[in-house]
Amino acid sequence: MSTTALQSPRTGMKAARPAGGVNFLRALHAEWIKFTTLRSTWILLATTLAAMVGIGLLGAWGVATALEQAADSGRDPGADGVRPQLLYLMPTGGIDFAQLIIGSLGVLLIASEYSTGMIRSTMTAVPDRLSPLFAKALVIAAVAAVTGIVSSFATYFLMQPVLAGYGQEFGLEVENLVPSMLLSGAYLALASLTALALGSLLRNSAGGIVTLVALFLVLPTVLGLIQLDWIQDALPYLPSNAGRQLLALEIAGGDLTRLQGGLVMAAWSAVLLAAAAVVTKVRDV
Amino acid sequence: MIEARGLVKVYGGKPQKYAVQDISFTVRPGKVTGFLGPNGAGKSTTMRMIMGLDDPTAGRVTVNGRPYAQHKAPLREVGALLDAKAVHTSRSAWHHLRAMAATHGIPQQRIHEVIELTGLGPVATKRVGGFSLGMGQRLGIAAALLGDPQTVILDEPVNGLDPEGVLWVRNLARSLAAEGRTVFLSSHLMSEMAQTADHLIVIGRGRIIADASIQEILDGQGRARTRVRTGGPEGAQLLGRVLAGPGVSIEAREGCLLEVSGVEPRAIAQAALEQQVLVCELTPLQASLEEAYLDLTRDEVEYHSGALAGRPDAPDDVAAPAAAGRQS
Repeated sequence: MSTTALQSPRTGMKAARPAGGVNFLRALHAEWIKFTTLRSTWILLATTLAAMVGIGLLGAWGVATALEQAADSGRDPGADGVRPQLLYLMPTGGIDFAQLIIGSLGVLLIASEYSTGMIRSTMTAVPDRLSPLFAKALVIAAVAAVTGIVSSFATYFLMQPVLAGYGQEFGLEVENLVPSMLLSGAYLALASLTALALGSLLRNSAGGIVTLVALFLVLPTVLGLIQLDWIQDALPYLPSNAGRQLLALEIAGGDLTRLQGGLVMAAWSAVLLAAAAVVTKVRDV
Repeated sequence: MIEARGLVKVYGGKPQKYAVQDISFTVRPGKVTGFLGPNGAGKSTTMRMIMGLDDPTAGRVTVNGRPYAQHKAPLREVGALLDAKAVHTSRSAWHHLRAMAATHGIPQQRIHEVIELTGLGPVATKRVGGFSLGMGQRLGIAAALLGDPQTVILDEPVNGLDPEGVLWVRNLARSLAAEGRTVFLSSHLMSEMAQTADHLIVIGRGRIIADASIQEILDGQGRARTRVRTGGPEGAQLLGRVLAGPGVSIEAREGCLLEVSGVEPRAIAQAALEQQVLVCELTPLQASLEEAYLDLTRDEVEYHSGALAGRPDAPDDVAAPAAAGRQS
């Protein structure tokens, strides 16, 4: 056990052993390396961006066409439910799909470590177990936020030349437009955190993604069909419904405010992440 | 240095399954300690508890003086290959090692060193999913050595390796131990252990059945001992006098307890019968490690398939004492 024995040229380090152990920043650095060195990360991020921009542009084009046809036939466009204001929603119009794609990335970020066995390397390198989980949370939330903001602004700017052909351009001064585009980042960040928590709780990619889709897409639709008062009352508190207030340009009187909606969605993420933290800490890896 | 004290691991469900039942052992630095046992004996569970991946149901295990998870720089204390597949299959070996190194601020130069040491160079930038089993083992060993740890734990390191790879692991383990490190490696192959380890801990069905140096085990080979407990001290003395002879050693442990070697259990029983000595216990003690190990392995096989239940080829001298032991 002498120190000279530790510096064997065959297996040891020739230089003095650098000091320092694990800390959260290093765990974060490691998670960032892991995040950026998987091809699936880039594919899913590119798909999220493409979904946001593509759906937004298609939506804008459709609305503009409808407006033009209504104008040509001399009818009041509002009678068909087509209003120019619909265009203002299109920069964030792809969020329903984007949340599922980046949510899948959030699930995979941790569930794929369980399925490949990588988690055992992760948890032996950083044995407090919570640092890797929270570092992953930080990475996916930050990336999702940037993706949301970049893609909604990209959609807005790419939309303008299309709309110009229909004389329907609109500016960033439209009320609440810029906040909604910025908050699309918060929305995707919260969605991806919920997804990460689901992946961590279920430790299974397929199960996590299915649960994510159920929670964000199926449940709001199905429950919306059930005409029971208490279900209708609960509906606005589902994560995607509540989070939608972050993107809304105008909010009706009885609805959750922008802040309330954001907080409800954040509460879903926080509770599920807390549960994931407890389970990660207690359960064997 | 690894110290396990009263380690128990129970898996839930019905019925509860004891993976490890109250095991205690110490793995010392400067030598290769083998952890030998049939598949399912509890080797991997024990190693996972050492590494803090599984929480023991009871007991405690420390590495270099403290529980693994309490080390500030665990990878610099302990390196482990627990499972060659503890790597994301879509990532390259190089990026995997980079991420592992980043957790401890280990410089890039060290990553190059372990890649060179394990011969991963040609495949370092390839996806791990395409690796052969042997390359996967080498990557696992590279990751284990990344922090230049004082203690190295390798779970079945030679699995899937070609003969050249087996030799490489053997030499690596020996040179790590020669540098004064603690080397703990598991195997289900007695022959492999005999060639690599200085010290052996044998585990079967979750219990330690032997903990001795290779030399002691070789010395003990063929010297079957039998524990004899008589009804009273007079009987023990009488039986001791009768059994004494060339090649026979008799140790009186307590008043009525003898440990006899060099006499078959059956002959002891015969002598006791002739002398009208009451025998309360007649237990064969670890005839040899190989035999004890084979017996355990055989039990496992019976348990799983029943194909060898009859054991027609079992040598009499193994079967007889076992039977005598159960009847007493």
